[in-house]
Amino acid sequence: MPTPMPLPTRPTGAPERGGRLVILGVAASDSHAVANHLIAHALRADGFTVVNLGTCTPVDEFADACERHPQAEAVLIGSLNGQIHEDLHGLAEAKRSGRIHCPVVVGGNLSVGSVKDESSVTRLYDLGVDRVLASAADLVPTLDALHAPTASDRVPAAAAR
Amino acid sequence: MPTAPAPPTLEESAAYITRLGKPTAAEVLARARTSGRTALQPRCGVGGHREMAVLLKELETEGRPDLLTLTIDSHTRLRRFEHAARALRTDHRTLNGYPLVTHGWQRGRELNELVAVPLEIRHGSPDPRELFATAVACGITSFEGGGISYNLPYSKDVPLADSLAAWTEVDQLCGELAHLGVVMDRELFGTLTAVLIPPSISLAISVLEAVAAAAAGVRCVSVSYPQSGHLAQDVAALRAVPVLAARYLPAGLDVHAVLHEFMGVFPRRRHHADDLIFYGAITARLGGASKLITKTYQEAHGIPDAAANAAGLRLAAVARSPLLDFITVDEGAVDEELEWILRETAEIVEPVLAAPRLDSAIVTAFAAGRLDIPFSASRHARSEVIPRRDRDGAVRYHSPGRLPLSRASTERNRRLLDGPARPGAGTTELPGAELFQALRRDIDYFPLLFGELPQDAAAPGGSAADSATSTPGKEPAL
Repeated sequence: MPTPMPLPTRPTGAPERGGRLVILGVAASDSHAVANHLIAHALRADGFTVVNLGTCTPVDEFADACERHPQAEAVLIGSLNGQIHEDLHGLAEAKRSGRIHCPVVVGGNLSVGSVKDESSVTRLYDLGVDRVLASAADLVPTLDALHAPTASDRVPAAAAR
Repeated sequence: MPTAPAPPTLEESAAYITRLGKPTAAEVLARARTSGRTALQPRCGVGGHREMAVLLKELETEGRPDLLTLTIDSHTRLRRFEHAARALRTDHRTLNGYPLVTHGWQRGRELNELVAVPLEIRHGSPDPRELFATAVACGITSFEGGGISYNLPYSKDVPLADSLAAWTEVDQLCGELAHLGVVMDRELFGTLTAVLIPPSISLAISVLEAVAAAAAGVRCVSVSYPQSGHLAQDVAALRAVPVLAARYLPAGLDVHAVLHEFMGVFPRRRHHADDLIFYGAITARLGGASKLITKTYQEAHGIPDAAANAAGLRLAAVARSPLLDFITVDEGAVDEELEWILRETAEIVEPVLAAPRLDSAIVTAFAAGRLDIPFSASRHARSEVIPRRDRDGAVRYHSPGRLPLSRASTERNRRLLDGPARPGAGTTELPGAELFQALRRDIDYFPLLFGELPQDAAAPGGSAADSATSTPGKEPAL
C-alpha cells in the first residue's frame, strides 16, 4: 500500500506568507513527536504552509518530499536525541544530485550529553546542513533571511548554551 | 529454548481460567464500582522471566493492588519476536517490558498463578493478534488497546484500516470467550498521545472503539481517560462515561470508567510527584472511577523500581479512605463541564456513527480531519487540533482543526482561553513564537506549578516534555 503523503496545510485566519512552503520532519532515529507538532503549529500560525513528514524521517524521505514540492523554500530537520550526525548520512549526496534543492536547517538537541560544543555544529555543516539553530525562536527570522533575494552565505551559528 | 507444546484451544483456555479460581478483571471492576472503592493498578514490566515474577510478588505484597500489569516490550509490540528472543539470549535488561510471546504461554501461566489478583496486558501494538492469543492461553482476563488508540500514538505509518481489522479479530475472540463463560475486560487507551488531550477527543475515540468492540462481541469495556489536572473537568470526564455508554453503547455491555494518573511531564522532586499522585487518586474517587492506574515518584526519571511503584499504590490507597468523605468538588462546575463534554463528544462521534460502515467511516474521517488527535505520532491523523490550557488549567480547544464542533462549542472554548471572542478573529490568533512558548508552558504545567522550572522556561531545543523518558508520542508509558 503506498504511503499517503501528509497534505500541506495552513489554518484559515493565519497571515499569508505568499504561499511559502517548508518541509518539516524529525531525524531518522528520533521519535519525538511533540516538539515537531509544536514547530508545525507555530510555523502555520506565522503563515507558512507546512508539509510535516513527522518523526523518524530518513534523508531519502526528505528528498522525495522536495521533488514533490519544488516550491519548497527549506527543509527543517529537528533532532532531540543527539544522533543527528548519523541520521544525516546521505544528505550531502542528496544535495549534490539536486534531489534536495533548497537550504537545510537543523535545530534541537544536537549532541548527546549536556555539554554542547561548536564541533558538533561544524560537523553538521560538513554533512551539508546550511543553518544550525540555537533556539526555536530563531526559526522564522532564519527562514526570512534565507528567503530574501540577497540571502547571505552561511554564518556560523551561535553555540547553544 | 525447547520448543513449546502446542498452545491450548480457546475452550481449553476458558476451562483453565474457570479452574484457576481467581477473580477475572471484569469481576474485580464490577466489585469496585458496586462498593465505590476504586480498584488500583500499577504499570510494571521487565524483560527477564524470573525478574518479572519477583516484581509481581513484591508489588502484590508491598503495594496491595487490585490488579497487576504485564507491560510488554517494544519488540513484541511491533511483532519483532526474533529481536525479543535475541535480547533475551544476550541481555534481558535491554528490554523495556516483558516479551510474553517469546517467553511463551506456559511461563505466562506461571506468572498468573503466582499472584492472587488478575493480570492485564498493556502494550501499544497496532496488530496484537499473536500477543492476544498468548495472553488468553495464559488465562489473562484483561487486554488493553484498540484499533485507533494503539495505532496513532505509537506508529508512524500503519494504516488505520489495518489496525482496526486486527483489533476486530481480537474483539471477536473476546466474544467467543464470552460464549465459553469468560468475560474479558477490554480497556481502551483513551490517554492517546498523553499531552493536553481534550476530554471530548479522548471520549469520542473511546466511544467509537467501544461501539466496534461491542459489535464484535465484547461484553466488558473499560474507558480510560487521562487526568488533565483540572479537577472539575476530570471529574466530569469520568462521570461522562456512564452517560455516553447509555447513549451510544448496547445495553448488555458492561462499561467502566478508568482514570490514568497524570500522563504528561511529571515533577521531578519526590514530594511534588507524591502531591500529584494523591491528587489523581482523589480525582478518581470523586469521579466514581472503577479503576485508577497509578504513577510513581520516579515518573520523571524513567521506569520505576518496585519500591517506588509500591509506594505509589499505597499513597493512592490513602485517597480511598472512608475518612475522606468530607472532600467534595464544586458540583455546579462539574455539571457545566459535563454538559459541554457530552455536547462536544456528540458533535464529534455522531456523524461517524451515522455512516453505514463504522471502520471505513473512521478511516475517512481521520483522513479528512473530522476525527483528529493532537500530537499524533502517525501521519494517519492530521493533528490540526491545537489544545491549550485555560487560566484555571483546564484543557480547551485553541483550534479545533477540522473537527465538526458547533459554533457554540468553539466559541465557548475560545472565550475560556482568551476572554471575549473578537468579531472576525481567525482561529489562530497567536503568532508562531508565542504559540510555541504557550504550548510549552501548558505541557510543563506541573513542573512550573511546583516551581521546578523558571516561569519563563525557554531552554533551547526541547522542553521537559521532550527530555523525559516518558515522552509522549515516543512510547507513552503504559
